[in-house]
Amino acid sequence: MAALLEISGLSTRFNLPGGELRAVEGVDLTLEAGETLALVGESGCGKSMTAASIIRLVPPPGRIVSGSIRFKGVDLLQLPEDQMRNVRGNRIAMVFQDPMTSLNPVFTIGNQIAEGLRIHRGLSKEKAEAEAVTMLSLVGIPAPRERLKDYPHQLSGGMRQRVMIAMALTCRPELVIADEPTTALDVTIQAQILELLDRLKEETGMGLILITHNLGIVAERAHRTAIMYAGQIVEMAPTAELFANPLHPYTRGLLASLPEKAKPGERLATIAGSVPDLKKEFAGCPFRERCPICEERCATHQPGMKEAGPGHQVRCLMAP
Amino acid sequence: MKPLLSAHNLVKQFPVQAGPFEPKRILTAVAGIDLELYPGETLGLAGESGCGKSTVARLLTGLIPASSGSISFDGKDLASLDAAGTARFRKEVQMIFQDPFSSLNPRMRVAEIIGEPLAIHGIGTPAERRDRVASLATRVGLAPDHLQRFPHEFSGGQRQRIGIARALAVAPRLIIADEPVSALDLSIQAQIINLLQDLKAELGLGFLFITHDLSVLRHLSDRVAIMYLGRIVETGSREAVLDRLLHPYTEVLLSAIPRIDGGKERRVIARGELPSPLAPPSGCPFHTRCPYAKPVCASDPPPLEEKEPGHWAACHFSKEIYRSQR
Ligand SMILES: Nc1ncnc2c1ncn2[C@@H]1O[C@H](COP(=O)(O)OP(=O)(O)OP(=O)(O)O)[C@@H](O)[C@H]1O
Ligand SMILES: Nc1ncnc2c1ncn2[C@@H]1O[C@H](COP(=O)(O)OP(=O)(O)O)[C@@H](O)[C@H]1O
Ligand code: SF4
Ligand code: SF4
Ligand SMILES: [Mg+2]
Ligand SMILES: [Mg+2]
Repeated sequence: MAALLEISGLSTRFNLPGGELRAVEGVDLTLEAGETLALVGESGCGKSMTAASIIRLVPPPGRIVSGSIRFKGVDLLQLPEDQMRNVRGNRIAMVFQDPMTSLNPVFTIGNQIAEGLRIHRGLSKEKAEAEAVTMLSLVGIPAPRERLKDYPHQLSGGMRQRVMIAMALTCRPELVIADEPTTALDVTIQAQILELLDRLKEETGMGLILITHNLGIVAERAHRTAIMYAGQIVEMAPTAELFANPLHPYTRGLLASLPEKAKPGERLATIAGSVPDLKKEFAGCPFRERCPICEERCATHQPGMKEAGPGHQVRCLMAP
Repeated sequence: MKPLLSAHNLVKQFPVQAGPFEPKRILTAVAGIDLELYPGETLGLAGESGCGKSTVARLLTGLIPASSGSISFDGKDLASLDAAGTARFRKEVQMIFQDPFSSLNPRMRVAEIIGEPLAIHGIGTPAERRDRVASLATRVGLAPDHLQRFPHEFSGGQRQRIGIARALAVAPRLIIADEPVSALDLSIQAQIINLLQDLKAELGLGFLFITHDLSVLRHLSDRVAIMYLGRIVETGSREAVLDRLLHPYTEVLLSAIPRIDGGKERRVIARGELPSPLAPPSGCPFHTRCPYAKPVCASDPPPLEEKEPGHWAACHFSKEIYRSQR
């Protein structure tokens, strides 16, 4: 059986005055139904643009330059736009970091949820409203019927995020992409929202791509994890394996730099330097300038993905 | 030892108006807190968004006036300081901000930004200031050629270094740092945390370190204070508060943190949402979400009491929390 999602060789670039910015560079990924895959990396490494590419909403001057994105065997990049619109929102849903930017401020919550149901599932006004109430209570909003009349600004951040999730789930999507869904939230609300996503995933069997830079969330929630650096996936493995046996120097550096890895007051391990300019083409390994074990050939050879163990892949010339 | 800076029963209220035709209401951002800051020591202040952390920072640095209560600098009430005393306060207490992007003047070169406090306080000759700026830049890990550039040419971590060098310029004894690493990427966070630790050790600086990242809090703090809705609900040594906590909110907050070693099983989830500081709950402010709440909690506000030596908590049932933890 085909995987739920199979991305291969995906590259997305932005044509900018200073040169061509390689936001996503040769990404390969698969996701099974019911699986949670975490996409991790520092800001600007291409997580959001990978997500935007999947639903074909890369903002101009960005464009997908190559690759294929098979969703249940069908290449989304080949679909006509009207069919793609049906996939978006109906079969693949996005949850964003800041719900205020994706909720429409001039319509009530009820209106916005019901609209999706009428368009995608052809429900009558009454049926759509009843379903909206069901969805809101499913995501743990108290007094959902009264809330239908509220505008987004009348809700707290945590409530808005729940509404976003309710909207994303109204059409029972097979795949949900959550782009830093809890970064703007407080930890106690974050815990509630992540718990909710997990529960809904269990109930509906949807696949989940969880984009985050919080390694704690990754460890607790994801079956598999992909680490991104400068537009590429540099390591991918089952989450427990990745934490126990990180192979890429960047992954190792990230894990070692966490404050919980040091005793209070001790110096933290650091990764020297900062992320490279994505407008420059890399001759060798993009991590080279920060890599503690880099060798001469790293300056001239681009490392490819290597199989390092069952389901464990790494992009490093020095990896076993 | 005497505290360098202390606050007593500090209150800050803001008048707010939701819209032009809405009534004016009073928002109590800080609802009567006591704090003591010592040289060479880091007090970590944590709590959820809107609980009043930044307001405390702005009060303590004199950026905004308190509605009531008092702040003392070196044993003297801030309100009663003479001009020389105020100048010394302005010099010895410095602030580092969360957002290195908006806190630096975009039209000034790095050298001017770092040297500005020296100029304001009239310290040194221009040549001496230049030398001091160069040595500060080196100290925080900036290169000499960075000094003639503008802030937009730098990454977040580098901008935070500029902000730190600027705060250090006038040789302060106390730094109030409002989430100085929250906006930084993982790999850069560790670099800045190390820098702050080194400076503390080398210069004997005191810190008020505001953070919502509990692993950073544990790493940097000697003492910890936990805030909820404008109040300190628990405070004490790092070990006391983080390992032998006595307040349900501290428990909820600590257990909510996703952990790489998996803390999901021990998680205590708070019910509901943060109440608005415009309409704080009666009695204990945490009673609407507290897993241990009893009827008395809705009516009687628990005072912040010393439950064991040096360990304070504001909860009617600390004893039971204590037992359930062990
Ligand atoms: N100038 C102001 N006018 C009105 N209300 C204010 C003002 N400054 C702060 N507040 C309110 O006071 C409360 C405390 O705000 P503060 O910025 O101190 O929170 P914080 O703990 O620093 O939050 P965060 O973690 O989001 O930075 C909030 O409800 C906030 O909206
Ligand atoms: N609208 C845009 N115009 C130009 N460059 C962009 C745009 N959106 C993203 N980029 C660039 O693409 C790269 C990847 O961005 P993104 O996927 O948003 O990163 P992440 O989500 O991992 O933080 C970054 O270098 C970013 O600056
Ligand atoms: S390929 Fe070379 S530079 Fe790149 S991560 Fe591996 S060792 Fe480091
Ligand atoms: S006083 Fe009551 S409501 Fe408040 S924290 Fe203690 S048990 Fe909870
Ligand atoms: Mg992003
Ligand atoms: Mg703040």
